[in-house]
Amino acid sequence: MIKKDVVIIGGGAAGLAAAVSCREKGIEDILIIERESALGGILKQCIHDGFGLIKFQHSYTGPEYAHKYVDQVEKQKIPYFLDSMVIDITNQKVLTVVNKSGLKKYKAKSIILAMGCRERTRGAIGIPGSRPAGIYTAGVAQNLINIHNYMIGKEVVILGSGDIGLIMARRLILEGATVKMVLELLPYGSGLPRNFNQCLFDYDIPLYLNHTVVNIRGDQRVESITMAKVDARGEAIPSTCKDVSCDTLMLSVGLIPENELTKMAGIKLDPLTGGALVDEYGQTTVNGIFACGNVLQVHDIVDNVSLEAEYVACGVEKYLSSFLKPKNDICIELGEGLQYVLPQRMQFLDDTVFSLRVSKPGQKKKLVFKNDKSIIKQKTFLRVNPAEMIRIKLTTQELSGTNGLKVDLES
Amino acid sequence: MKREFICILCPNSCRITTEYDNNGIKKIEGAQCKKGKEFINNEIENPLRIFTGSVLCEGGDYRLVSVKTTKSILKKYMKQIALKTHQIKLKAPVEIGQVIVPNIMGLDINLVATRRVRKFH
Repeated sequence: MIKKDVVIIGGGAAGLAAAVSCREKGIEDILIIERESALGGILKQCIHDGFGLIKFQHSYTGPEYAHKYVDQVEKQKIPYFLDSMVIDITNQKVLTVVNKSGLKKYKAKSIILAMGCRERTRGAIGIPGSRPAGIYTAGVAQNLINIHNYMIGKEVVILGSGDIGLIMARRLILEGATVKMVLELLPYGSGLPRNFNQCLFDYDIPLYLNHTVVNIRGDQRVESITMAKVDARGEAIPSTCKDVSCDTLMLSVGLIPENELTKMAGIKLDPLTGGALVDEYGQTTVNGIFACGNVLQVHDIVDNVSLEAEYVACGVEKYLSSFLKPKNDICIELGEGLQYVLPQRMQFLDDTVFSLRVSKPGQKKKLVFKNDKSIIKQKTFLRVNPAEMIRIKLTTQELSGTNGLKVDLES
Repeated sequence: MKREFICILCPNSCRITTEYDNNGIKKIEGAQCKKGKEFINNEIENPLRIFTGSVLCEGGDYRLVSVKTTKSILKKYMKQIALKTHQIKLKAPVEIGQVIVPNIMGLDINLVATRRVRKFH
């Protein structure tokens, strides 16, 4: 069994930032394990710009943003394995890794989970109909078009208005396809507002809110879909069904943190985020195993992934120097109007960045942090949107003397 | 004329309410930073966008080199630049920042690579 101080599973945005940050803190013995044949993760295929505005005050494309970190990994000589899969981890932090050279076992003092997320598929949302070629998730379409130079179709209908779907709508148009419409089940868009503007409205692509796809038709290839309006409960209204001819259906209907390994290690998950339950350092319910990036919570901005990974590196440094002792954590209570809040539990030792998402869009809302006695912090938002993660820092001073915390969204 | 714009310059996606006529902007509300006003000015007159796309590359570890314009271009040129990118064929290696098309369409803006493509061994 090979011993390592820190093993990072995943060489995407989160894993790379965690690795660079750990090395900056003086941790020498690091190993990144990446299953693809290059570092960079999903950033490699996100060739549009808009990355890095928070972290670097500059707008980069995905490959450029990834390159900044890959460059650091190379310069700092941080070891990494490519084409390598972690197939098992235990709560004793033993990892089983397979690659072309065979199967090896590693014993890590600390593990950082940075496996990212995957897309919900047609199966996950259960669209009835036949099973022809021409049904893609937005991320797969992005990979085929931007990395492999395969076009996915000529006449495209998009279901779901997640950011990747919107970005791909514009990309498909510029690559010569027709994007007939974007259908969204919810009464509001799922992506960032600026992407509706620069990807749909710029190209006059119609957006139908409260609509879904209820049938797919086609023998070899998709020939048409049936769209329908949905009622307040999200159920299709039969009288509104309408056939739309197309050769491609692209799905952008949500992302799921990829936590199979997390479960193997016996780590508790939060059903609200789909990721691990963590404390303020991103430490999971197994001491010494940390999580950051989309495997912990699905992010809308990569800069926040990098920042989260930097926080986790602080936690790893503290853990390795035996500063983080297992203690009784206090649970953060989730109040009204919020989907989730991270961390879910904490010890109130340090300045802490809370990340959270609201349940539905709203105007003039007040985010309130209170302990059992009083309000310790509040912030008013002109607008809130589930698509936009809120990150807010509470200092040690604000948190001092607190032995319980509730987060609420008030009108 | 009154119109609401969504600023695309950063993820804040500010909704900026603007009143304007032929003489320019009369009232502007909702921008969280000073770039908002400049964005609105352009958006009314001549909307600007960064173009990103890809071009073919032979003999490298990627089949495509991703590219971008170094500055924002007029929105109306997006499709024409996309067509241009389809006619280019590069040879590996390509470096990030390497100029792929100088002075594209005479706009005094370069199209540059955003991905490193190594020679395939």
